[in-house]
Amino acid sequence: MRLELRWSEVDELVAGSPTRLAGKRLAVDLDALRTLLAGDARLTGLRLDLVHPGERCRVGRVFDVVAPRARLEGEDFPGVLGGVARAGDGATLALAGVAVVATDQQTDSVGTLAVIDMAGPNAALSAFGATHNLVISAWPAPGTERPDYLAAVRLAALKAAVALARAAREAEPDRVEVLALPPSPRVPVELAHLPRVAYVFQIHSHQRPTGLDEGILYGDPVRRMLPTIVHPNEVLDGAVLRGFMGRSVTTWATQNHPVIRALYARHGRALWFAGVVVTVAQATEPERVRSALLTAGLVAHALGADGAVFTKIGGGAPHVDMAQAAAQCEALGVRTTLLVEDMSTDGSAEGMLLFDFPGVDALVNVGSSHEPLTLPPMDRVVGADDLAPRLLGESRATYGTLCGAIEQVGATRIMAEVR
Amino acid sequence: MASEPLRVVCYVNQFFGQLGGEEKAGVGPQVTDGAVGAARAVQQALGDAGTVVATVICGDNYAAERGERAVAEMLALVRAARPDLVIAGPAFLAGRYGVACGALCAAVQAQLKIPAVTGMQAENPGVELYRRQVHVVATGAEATRMLAEVTRLVALGLKLARGEALGTPAAEGYFARGVTRNVVAGASAADRATAMLLDKLAGRPFASEVPRPAFPGVPAPRLIKPLAGATIALVTDGGLVPQGNPDGIEALNATRYGAYSIEGKASLEAAQYDNPHRGYDTSWVKQDPHRLVPVDVARELEQRGAIGKLHETVYSTVGVATTLAHSARMGQEIADKLRAAGVDAVILTST
Repeated sequence: MRLELRWSEVDELVAGSPTRLAGKRLAVDLDALRTLLAGDARLTGLRLDLVHPGERCRVGRVFDVVAPRARLEGEDFPGVLGGVARAGDGATLALAGVAVVATDQQTDSVGTLAVIDMAGPNAALSAFGATHNLVISAWPAPGTERPDYLAAVRLAALKAAVALARAAREAEPDRVEVLALPPSPRVPVELAHLPRVAYVFQIHSHQRPTGLDEGILYGDPVRRMLPTIVHPNEVLDGAVLRGFMGRSVTTWATQNHPVIRALYARHGRALWFAGVVVTVAQATEPERVRSALLTAGLVAHALGADGAVFTKIGGGAPHVDMAQAAAQCEALGVRTTLLVEDMSTDGSAEGMLLFDFPGVDALVNVGSSHEPLTLPPMDRVVGADDLAPRLLGESRATYGTLCGAIEQVGATRIMAEVR
Repeated sequence: MASEPLRVVCYVNQFFGQLGGEEKAGVGPQVTDGAVGAARAVQQALGDAGTVVATVICGDNYAAERGERAVAEMLALVRAARPDLVIAGPAFLAGRYGVACGALCAAVQAQLKIPAVTGMQAENPGVELYRRQVHVVATGAEATRMLAEVTRLVALGLKLARGEALGTPAAEGYFARGVTRNVVAGASAADRATAMLLDKLAGRPFASEVPRPAFPGVPAPRLIKPLAGATIALVTDGGLVPQGNPDGIEALNATRYGAYSIEGKASLEAAQYDNPHRGYDTSWVKQDPHRLVPVDVARELEQRGAIGKLHETVYSTVGVATTLAHSARMGQEIADKLRAAGVDAVILTST
């Protein structure tokens, strides 16, 4: 498979008609976009705001962030927005410097939602403090159940992401990123000495069951999914979306997957990228054992990997689920490294890890989401009018509250250091 | 910009306060203006950066024997001197002195909200007791290099007092406190993991970023009486609570557990129970609480005489993101109560 990401840099985002990219200036016809997004009967009162890096603005009630992408041919976000068709092969328009931020206006337990600071010290901690953001606020139409509301909100974000990226159709891309990987077994003889490395990507945790409309893999809500091999390009090109449980993980990070990028960057030089296994964290022990067994089998026997990188999504059960699969790999002679979150809730080094398996000894951490953080005063709050009085002033929060600061797939440089 | 000289209070024992040796170890807390004894080295190390405004002296035995009361008395003397920073010791390998230094620093930080630093040799019992709460600078066993050691204490203390970022324990010379702090690394976690894997594959050394937990193994004790004569209790960390969650058990990071009577109940009625646990899909347990706490089956076993008796109290907490400290405490408390009630064995259901 060969994917071309045709990148256009955007350094200015303005309202204007028609939607077009001129140089690095992206004008968005907000009225037309609002009409497009408001066609969903599950939503009402749809609002669009533009926020910019350096602006003393805080985005509240953040639900998910989507990178603007549009396939030149084929289906966008297949299985969720477009029909089920293969992603990852062909050319896709991509905008750098812009993100689509979806907010959740329904939930009362706002503690599970995140904020984005566009200025101040926290802006530097998140990718979304440095992007121009289109913020979508939409309320549930009367009678809309929560899973339907969230599905509608996400769909609006995906539509907006495609609409923005399509503005680059006529533009000459600033750079073209080529992601090409032949079928896993076909290694040229001269590169056959390289260690074969797989990536095991946990894409959902059954700690919270998915809704019927909560498409995660090609639109499938992965309720009964067993470990499955996909091509890394499919992940980058919209086949994998984040579910509705958004703890320290964004769809944006999946579309720009840092582990896949890191393996691609060393592919053919320091390693041979053998492929991606997608898994879900299981809810019960027999399922967990079965999933770990099958994962290790795919990594060791189907992909023939010498090593594997693992990430997780969610909390403690996924953390252990990932480690059980890694332990099974180690038992088959596959060396592993795991990206773990600091699981301690009181900042003690003793509580960082919830497992101890033989061989699972190479751990990188993505930081502590429980560590306190100060949200400084801002001039404007977007996406959370009802919380504005609180979000305008200085308040205490945690790293986990700052969207994009901690990404479980390892997108950021934040780490918890033992002191 | 020159900063204001800091007000520093030192704490030394009777020996380093020049009151005398072991014969003066019973002397209670006293304060002298300015730097006395070992505190002079602190003043020397501070230079223009600060002034030792007072030295608190206390005998080692007094501090060791009176414990909290001695600390409270010293704390009052410290507070009166209005310091910006407290420097205790260094205590080197002197055990009573080291423990007192740690206790005073911990109290100063917690109660006066003033930064404090001390120094000891690694074997001093004060290190293990207080390194989690207090910055303890590693020193030699004896006071042979007093000025050099004190200079490192002072350097760390000044950083704390000025609110400057501290380096790693290795860089700053203090004992690892076993606490984690978010920092910005040189590369993304994904890049670091890939590099670490390549090192591991090549057999090169690599440094894991997470210490492996030192969970002690707990061997399951043998049941010393026949099951038919044993009292069995049901305990869970799966979060079953009566409707209304009367003990207010937290949805995650729990600090509380509940004790719920099942006296007279042959089974649990779903409508009477709830589950605040946020770590797993609780819908199945809410539908039928026996999936978590099998009172129905246990009663049958009791009826049939397969077990002697079902204990009439169920203990329940929420095990998700719970700290080790609270887990250990709650486990101990529940175990104590079960033992006092004559329970022989426990069925512990986890999720």
